[in-house]
Amino acid sequence: MAEVLNEFSRALADAVEAGGRYTVRVEARRRLPASGVIWSPDGVIVTAHHVVEWDNNITVGLPDGRSVAARLVGRDPATDLAVLRADASGLEAAPLADDEGLRVGHLVLSLGRPGRTVQATLGIVSALGQAWRTMGGGQIDRYLQTDTAMYPGFSGGPLVDAAGRVLGINSSALLRGISLTVPVATVRRLVETLLAHGHVPRGHLGVKVQPVRLPSAVATRIGQETGVLLLSVEAGSPAERAGLLLGDTIVALDEQPVRDIDDLMALLSGDRVGSAVPVRVLRGGEVRDLTVTIGDRG
Amino acid sequence: MPNIVEQVNHDMDAVIERVWQSLVQIRNGFGAGAGTIWHPDGLIVTNAHVLGAHGLSVILRDGRTLPARVLAADRTHDVAALAVDASGLPTITLGDSRRLEPGQWVTAVGHPWGVTGAATAGIVTGTGVALPEAPGLGREWIATDLHLRPGHSGGPLVDSQGRLVGINTIMAGPNVGLAVPAHIIVQFLQRALGSRAGAAARARAA
Repeated sequence: MAEVLNEFSRALADAVEAGGRYTVRVEARRRLPASGVIWSPDGVIVTAHHVVEWDNNITVGLPDGRSVAARLVGRDPATDLAVLRADASGLEAAPLADDEGLRVGHLVLSLGRPGRTVQATLGIVSALGQAWRTMGGGQIDRYLQTDTAMYPGFSGGPLVDAAGRVLGINSSALLRGISLTVPVATVRRLVETLLAHGHVPRGHLGVKVQPVRLPSAVATRIGQETGVLLLSVEAGSPAERAGLLLGDTIVALDEQPVRDIDDLMALLSGDRVGSAVPVRVLRGGEVRDLTVTIGDRG
Repeated sequence: MPNIVEQVNHDMDAVIERVWQSLVQIRNGFGAGAGTIWHPDGLIVTNAHVLGAHGLSVILRDGRTLPARVLAADRTHDVAALAVDASGLPTITLGDSRRLEPGQWVTAVGHPWGVTGAATAGIVTGTGVALPEAPGLGREWIATDLHLRPGHSGGPLVDSQGRLVGINTIMAGPNVGLAVPAHIIVQFLQRALGSRAGAAARARAA
């Protein structure tokens, strides 16, 4: 009886087994260990930033039961990803899923290895969306939310498809109470950056801002209705060195309009770090053009 | 040709229909739990925490209400064996709870919040003693992603073939449903009731 259900059950267990071959335990904090994913055979491990409290003396529990030493290569709080280098080679790296065909409603599994064995929860893809920016300004290539339960220690583990391939890295810290996955495209980009630089360069001005409506005469003249008002300018910051003042309203950076905080965050991308770019501000009703050298928030 | 989801639903019908036969309600004077018929001659297993101080009765699927007495209870493993005066009761096939793997499909039935015979299904999260969040150091559990509620306690947890793999017991945290594995119940019955019950259990497990 129940042949289809039996096959269904076996296929789920097979997917967990396949995913379990690259899901590791990450011991890098005092509390419960967390999870990670074997990214390359030579020991590159991807996990969640918020579960890595230590830079050294990290232990990675491999699927074959071995425990090996690891060190932090780099981390990116904005996307909640961290890359470790485990003292191991010849590992089985995670096969990457092609998420082109992924649709809302598809069955997916969240895996973790907080203990010795792999654990799993089942759910469906709840929401798929466009690229988005986290609270910390991290660029995520695709919004991917599931209803899989995230148990303690599951952060940093993989979301896997029905064939056991990795769809992304789970984080319970990007949005509280929601199971979000950082997709493979973002992870791949972050791994390359962290292996190359040890951190993710991100543009920095050293200001606190608030969106404001522009006076109508100015709005008509420059063709936008809002800008961002400087509420504070840090001493010695790139903004201060550029001559930006408290009360200035930024309306453009690098010749792109700054209408709100999202615009500004998007323009403070890593590739602009170190470059001198024009910044257009509104001061005392007058438009002024200054030049700012974008810093690195590191 | 029905699609795969319709086929899964069809198989679920068969599993639920089968497991319902051996599901009972247990009244303990102030509340209710679930139980699982283990032997046709009136042997029922449940959780020890379902037992009350007095006035234990069992309501069968056919509506009969029978007084029950406690044969044995093990508070450490939270399992108990009850006897009712009946014969020819429908029992449930035993599955191999030692071979349960994470990802396998499981269904729990019981009477959550008094809703009789309610089912919930999901997967095995993990098994064994090394479940950091589970209570009772060194105790063996089946962890599932099922939402178990008061009234599920003592009811059967079955695999994709409708075979008994555990007894629904408690939640650990908001999203982890824990069940006592069937092989722990077999061991308990062997200890408590002697080799006859054990032999019967082994024969059915084979």
